[in-house]
Amino acid sequence: MKTISELTDFYYKTLYPVLEELEKEREAVKSKVIKIGIFYTLIVFGIVFSIFKYLEFEAFVYIAIFYIAGWAWIYKFLISDYASDFKQKIIAPLIKEIDENLDYLPDLHIPLSNFNRSKLFTSRPDRVSGNDYVRGKIDNIDIAFSDFHAEKKHKGSKGRESWEKIFKGLFIVSDFHKKFHGQTVILPDSAQSLLGDLIGGWLQANNFSRDELIKMDNVDFEKEFVVYGTDQVEARYILTHTLMQKLLNYKKKTKQPIYVSFVGGKIYMAIEYNDDMFEPSVFHSLLNYKIAMEYVSTLHLVIGIVEELKLNQKLWSKV
Amino acid sequence: MSTSLIIVIVIAIILVLMYNSLVAKKNQVDNIFASVDTQLKKRYNLIPNLVASVSKYMEHEKSLLEEVTKLRSEANKPNLSDKQKIDLDAKTTKTLGSIMIAVENYPDLKANENVMHLQRSLNEVEEQIAAARRAYNQAVTDYNNALEMIPTNFMASIMGYKAKDVFVISKNERKNVNVSELFAK
Repeated sequence: MKTISELTDFYYKTLYPVLEELEKEREAVKSKVIKIGIFYTLIVFGIVFSIFKYLEFEAFVYIAIFYIAGWAWIYKFLISDYASDFKQKIIAPLIKEIDENLDYLPDLHIPLSNFNRSKLFTSRPDRVSGNDYVRGKIDNIDIAFSDFHAEKKHKGSKGRESWEKIFKGLFIVSDFHKKFHGQTVILPDSAQSLLGDLIGGWLQANNFSRDELIKMDNVDFEKEFVVYGTDQVEARYILTHTLMQKLLNYKKKTKQPIYVSFVGGKIYMAIEYNDDMFEPSVFHSLLNYKIAMEYVSTLHLVIGIVEELKLNQKLWSKV
Repeated sequence: MSTSLIIVIVIAIILVLMYNSLVAKKNQVDNIFASVDTQLKKRYNLIPNLVASVSKYMEHEKSLLEEVTKLRSEANKPNLSDKQKIDLDAKTTKTLGSIMIAVENYPDLKANENVMHLQRSLNEVEEQIAAARRAYNQAVTDYNNALEMIPTNFMASIMGYKAKDVFVISKNERKNVNVSELFAK
């Protein structure tokens, strides 16, 4: 696989003409966004001032909320053409450059069935969204990932609906190179780090929504993660010392909570992120090195999982 | 009625819970040892095949081959204790390792498809055994902890439970076997 610096080279050299063109488009969109932003703000303030004396304090809160939500919607609408151009002209070639067997579908996301099959989250989502779906083969290993946002609906006492986040971030599915029959789920260790070994450990051992607790023999790994599985031996067959170390390294690199599971011959990974993966910002130059690096390193990090975890190392048992 | 009755009931419940948790821990150890045993058997079953296919070439390592054959026949004896099985496993792992290193000195052997397949099977079994050993060690640690910690230690001594041995896991095994490196040579 190509290194980050090779990809950055590709970004600046091969994509340069496109970048320049897009940069012009970005400038135009930016000035449009600023103009409309000022206009929008003036209108809202004008309305508020004219009816100022009739309003109570509560009304201001609502107006502020509608003001922000309205702006978010307008902003999204204004940049949508630019964003899709950016994805088609920059992100798509970058992905093809990494491996030509990868397909990029900007508007789609990982199928819900994949999310449910992963057993990573116990509640079933009622609404899912996402974008930037990449799928294909690297070194003959099937891999697919996308931004994914899963929510659950709650009904309040007054029949009011509210949506609770189950997961938002990056969701990855890939073949796993070892054969196994059961399920092994690795979650961020929140109980133990919050409540200490004694109480946290007891809570983990008695988590009824999960399978058996599996204590791993790597102290650092145990601190960061908690493992549940159907088979004590199989979980350790999958989670060798090497793989535990690699998952730890991967977590350090992403600096985000990571969920990993092994179900039905596949590895599922969910990495919590608050931002979207490849959403361009109109306020930053495309030629800015830092911004470019961010796109490249995100891609590298995700696709690098195949090499990082040695998923491409086919064992004879699975030939 | 009494507080004393309530106290007796509470104590009885605590005792039952302690007893059950100890039994559960002991059974977990036995249970996992069974899967260690299955994997060990799988490996012992590969030995005759291995010896047969390499003995023609390996003149200088006859003693290694004899030893591994001996270990296998010992392991096949009935009524071995867990401790004996653990000892035999350690010896077998060591001897097999030496044989595998010796194979590297015979280009004919390395290229032999049968030997290559055996090597791969052994690798896979070793990985399974390593996993089973680690699971077993964890179960034994939980069990031994219960035997030494208050309050379960009193109950355990009444029940006559004895501390169990763990597998010694060598530094080498802590690293994962890198299959591709083995075959890249």
